[in-house]
Amino acid sequence: MTIRSSLAALSAAAVLALPTVALSQESVRIGVLAGVTGPLANFVPPILDSVNLAAKHVNDQGGLLDGKTMEIVVADTQAAAQPAVDAANKLVGVENVSAIWGALSSGATLAAATAVAIPNKVVMLSPTATSPEMTGLDDGDYVFRVVASDDYQGKVLADIVKEEGINKVAVTYVNNDYGVGIARTFMEAFKAAGGEITGEQKHEEKSASYRAELATLSGGDPEALVVIAYAGGSGITIVRQSLENGFFDRFIGTDGLRDNKLIEEIGEENLSTTFFSSPTSPPGTTAQDKFKTAFEAAYETTKDKIFIEQSYDAAFLLALAVEQAGSADRKAIRDALRAVASPPGEVVEPGEWEKAKELIAAGTDVNYEGVGGSLDFDDAGDVTGFFGRFIVEDGSYKETGVYQ
Amino acid sequence: MDLIAFVNFYLVPGIILGSIYALGAVGVSLLFGILRFAHFAHGDLMTFGAYVTLTAVGVTGVSAFLALPFGLAMTIALALLVNTVFYRPLKHLPTIVTVISSFGIALMIRAGVQLVWGTDIETYQSGIQKPLVFFDTFRIAERHIWIILITAALIILLHHFLARTKTGKAMRAVADDPELASVSGIDIEHVVRWVWVIGGGLAAAAGVFLGIDNQLHVNMGWDLLLPVFAAALLGGIGKPYGAIMGGFAIGLAQEISTYPWIGTAPLVDPGYKSAIAFGIMVAMLIWRPQGLARGRLFA
Repeated sequence: MTIRSSLAALSAAAVLALPTVALSQESVRIGVLAGVTGPLANFVPPILDSVNLAAKHVNDQGGLLDGKTMEIVVADTQAAAQPAVDAANKLVGVENVSAIWGALSSGATLAAATAVAIPNKVVMLSPTATSPEMTGLDDGDYVFRVVASDDYQGKVLADIVKEEGINKVAVTYVNNDYGVGIARTFMEAFKAAGGEITGEQKHEEKSASYRAELATLSGGDPEALVVIAYAGGSGITIVRQSLENGFFDRFIGTDGLRDNKLIEEIGEENLSTTFFSSPTSPPGTTAQDKFKTAFEAAYETTKDKIFIEQSYDAAFLLALAVEQAGSADRKAIRDALRAVASPPGEVVEPGEWEKAKELIAAGTDVNYEGVGGSLDFDDAGDVTGFFGRFIVEDGSYKETGVYQ
Repeated sequence: MDLIAFVNFYLVPGIILGSIYALGAVGVSLLFGILRFAHFAHGDLMTFGAYVTLTAVGVTGVSAFLALPFGLAMTIALALLVNTVFYRPLKHLPTIVTVISSFGIALMIRAGVQLVWGTDIETYQSGIQKPLVFFDTFRIAERHIWIILITAALIILLHHFLARTKTGKAMRAVADDPELASVSGIDIEHVVRWVWVIGGGLAAAAGVFLGIDNQLHVNMGWDLLLPVFAAALLGGIGKPYGAIMGGFAIGLAQEISTYPWIGTAPLVDPGYKSAIAFGIMVAMLIWRPQGLARGRLFA
């Protein structure tokens, strides 16, 4: 190799090396685990918009620490356990993220947490994983979530169903952490309230036919079918085959089924008596108005976009934790997370990054009050939350009641 | 649970599922028998066929059944292209190279489908379609009648091809004994091309039928791979008729095993339906590895 060509190679190497060096100095990387493909794919684009909005608020108002940017690194979990572990490994080992936002589904979150985040001591903050399993997880205090456990959703759903005057239901649920968790608490609460479960059946996702299961479930004269499943995984197929064969004409769904695809594929006219429970935000807080205004300015509408509130909160909280920690150190971020989310402290709301940054710089405690509620973590890293009752109206979902 | 419920909700869905498996399994079985490798991209050929047909439906507005020929043609073209570009150059290397490369092809096709059509769930026709009711009891959706009829027609065509045409006979000869076939002057390359035409075409039909019965998503074909391989093994590798039998047997077994044969609870928890195919496959490999139709054995 001549001197000239080695010089050229050297300078090429320098050019190639520069951006990485610069990046690691100027940004704090937050890993985002989301099911970009797979059964939750329909939900994900607005959720990522929301995360990017939080990052934009942070970066436009002074950035993290001493002028670093908050960099979002997305990895695809396919909303399934094994791919989630691979994605988390990539974030922790290759992308070297400081904290992990996500994952979305409970199964993916539990797998990624147990196999990657907990052993590597990286904090994971899920916006949407609702399985009760998360509460008892032996996580060394590294796993948090900003959405309430299905223990609550199951109970609220039982209340809503009883309130409707429905006393006999059949239940079908997807065979994963989400379905099993929520079904168990729902059935317990419903029976305790005097309701009757005429049949229960767990099912495998992505099957071509659920007619056999549904035929069995329709026995015993139930008034409605409770479907605890993701719309894209099995929910739409179950609803369609129920209607086509006359097994059921009334459905009760959870947040997983509350997907716009359901209305699109099944048709509004077939869902007139159907209702849904879903985590929602408390009515009429200032945090909500601020978020709604900011989101709509950036992405036109918040309508029909589910979990954007929780997604924003989780991303903003992680940024606050980094700022409070004073470094991109993984353990320090974990230690700071509770402090910035809970009282005591000066209240900070969505979009108020500049204010939060000043307060933290001055050594004042901050307490983030999120779009989805006050988000004060308990010992297990859980929050209490609000659930809405939704019906289908004018081609989208309309909230008709809020429960806590 | 009476007889009519059994027919409506267990037997008919079993036949539909069986048709889909059978169409997929013929290709897998022939490819395995003639090219001697497990073609893992077969599921994604189905996905591709289903999505191409979706575009045809979207552009022309006709039903998916009418758009099917377009899907078949495009999938056959893709199968031939993949064979020419990837599999043929690898022919002289150990089989495992081709098997692994078929995994790669599967990922490439799926990624391509994601890129072009996105990751959302799609359907050929939205809304619900009430089934036709005969004699006040027997109910079957119109689309299911068509699936069964077209599958039957495709099988008859296949039979005609294999039994009457020179290429068909050559194909069976190659599947039975490639060395002997080769020394008797059969043009293997020609046969291989036809295997791809048949395998690709039937895979596309299977994908489209699955989409019509249900919905389209990017993993639809990949998820079908296990029962399709089970069907091919059950029928005997290299035996197209065996594969058809195997497909129907697996489809029916999956659905019928969940019927409450004893008492009121399903015999097999429907949550474990897909394990049935796997169970049959393992049992066949242990006790009758040559399959029902005495297919090829692989050491």
